[in-house]
Amino acid sequence: MPQTTIYVAPRLSGSPDNPLPAVSTLELARLFGRSAALAGVSLRIETGRTVALFGPNGAGKTTLLRILATAIRPSFGSASVDGLDVANDGDLVRTRIAYLSHATGLYDDLTAAENLRFAARLLAVPTAEVDPRTAAALADVGLSTVANQRVAGFSAGMRKRVALGRLLLSAHSLLLLDEPHAALDEAGMHLVDDLIRRWREAGITVLVASHAIERLEPLLDGRIRLDGGLVAAIDGDGASLNAAFNRLGGPAVVGASR
Amino acid sequence: MTTLARNASIALAIARKDALAELRGKHATTSTLFFAAVVLLLFGFALGPDTRKLTEAAPGLLWLAIVFAGLLAVGRLHIVETDDGALEQLALYPIDRRAIYAGKAISGLAAMLVLGAVLLPVVAILYGIDLAGAWPALVATLLLGCTGFAAVGTFYAGVTVRMRAREVMLPLLMLPVIAPLLLAAVKATTAALAGDPFSELPAWLQLLAGYDIVMLIAGAGTYGFLLEE
Repeated sequence: MPQTTIYVAPRLSGSPDNPLPAVSTLELARLFGRSAALAGVSLRIETGRTVALFGPNGAGKTTLLRILATAIRPSFGSASVDGLDVANDGDLVRTRIAYLSHATGLYDDLTAAENLRFAARLLAVPTAEVDPRTAAALADVGLSTVANQRVAGFSAGMRKRVALGRLLLSAHSLLLLDEPHAALDEAGMHLVDDLIRRWREAGITVLVASHAIERLEPLLDGRIRLDGGLVAAIDGDGASLNAAFNRLGGPAVVGASR
Repeated sequence: MTTLARNASIALAIARKDALAELRGKHATTSTLFFAAVVLLLFGFALGPDTRKLTEAAPGLLWLAIVFAGLLAVGRLHIVETDDGALEQLALYPIDRRAIYAGKAISGLAAMLVLGAVLLPVVAILYGIDLAGAWPALVATLLLGCTGFAAVGTFYAGVTVRMRAREVMLPLLMLPVIAPLLLAAVKATTAALAGDPFSELPAWLQLLAGYDIVMLIAGAGTYGFLLEE
């Protein structure tokens, strides 16, 4: 099956001695009412790494991804993407990330192709490329034959595929995937694995929250386990702990020397 | 592409998407037009067959119907964004949030203008009003009145869209703010239908235009904050 081009956002330069991390958080906390979904997370993920975020329900995985995606603001602490602060430089951060959430963000009364064409226009895809990229993305996620059907009649898995197709339309440097395998059949899950592999090979950083960690294992550079809004464990090439910041021991560095 | 051109292109894309969704789903059209027609019909019955009374009440009843139906329309335009997380997705695109406001306001204005274009002849027929000669002034009044309504309605629909009691809260918050607009629109419509014997029309139209400018600037400047949690 022909595959779409993977578009990669140009890297922002750090100093040679201190390259910009793809993700950096410092004592990051988020409160919802009186409960803390995140209670002080300090992380550092290097550019181009594929890292899994796992842990029990309510551990703070989705909250962390939503803060990095600029969907919600941190209550305390800070987070940055490619050196850009998510709270203060949200406009710039949004030019570099793509976020696949539990909700697909699709419009029921539009067709799959119309949904992606609308997304392409908002993602600043050049006008002449909107239709070709939409068609290629739908082909890539296996929905060419239903491209002109309204998504109102789609199953949850098909909607997820359309949402995955949206990630293929434009250039990113960081992909935030929240349970990308959920609602998909076996073929769909293979599609997700294949996309993650291609993003990884293209040098895009992928942070994926998943309960299907065994499935992702061959693709991972690092793993972060969250529990109760804190980093409970960390593993991966170049991972280290810094006693200055982390409640467990410091900003955990993941995938620094792949 | 300049920032202004890019924002205009995004706003039009959002308005086009809303129009397409509405043409397909007819979520707002059916309920608003039916509701407005019922309001006008019931007031017509209540006022009785006295032509003079009907003619005097017509401008107020026209705007009453437009406002009630318009509340449904602007609310509905935001509710479609809550289906399956579309509003959050919209906020995560790398776009100027003023363009999102502009797009939703254009959608609201288009819905209101369609409403006005349908209701005006209905009012003329039901209340026995002669519209000949009043068209240019009526069109200007409708355009300015609906623009102000869409500017305020888009902002408050954004405020209330995540609330559970949004259908109650939207009119509760919005009606006090649009009171000056309603007053000016009714007065301008009255002047237009009466042939403007006291030359009041330009002053009311200027008030409407001033209101529109203030509300559009305020809405565009603050709408982005509504998209953040």
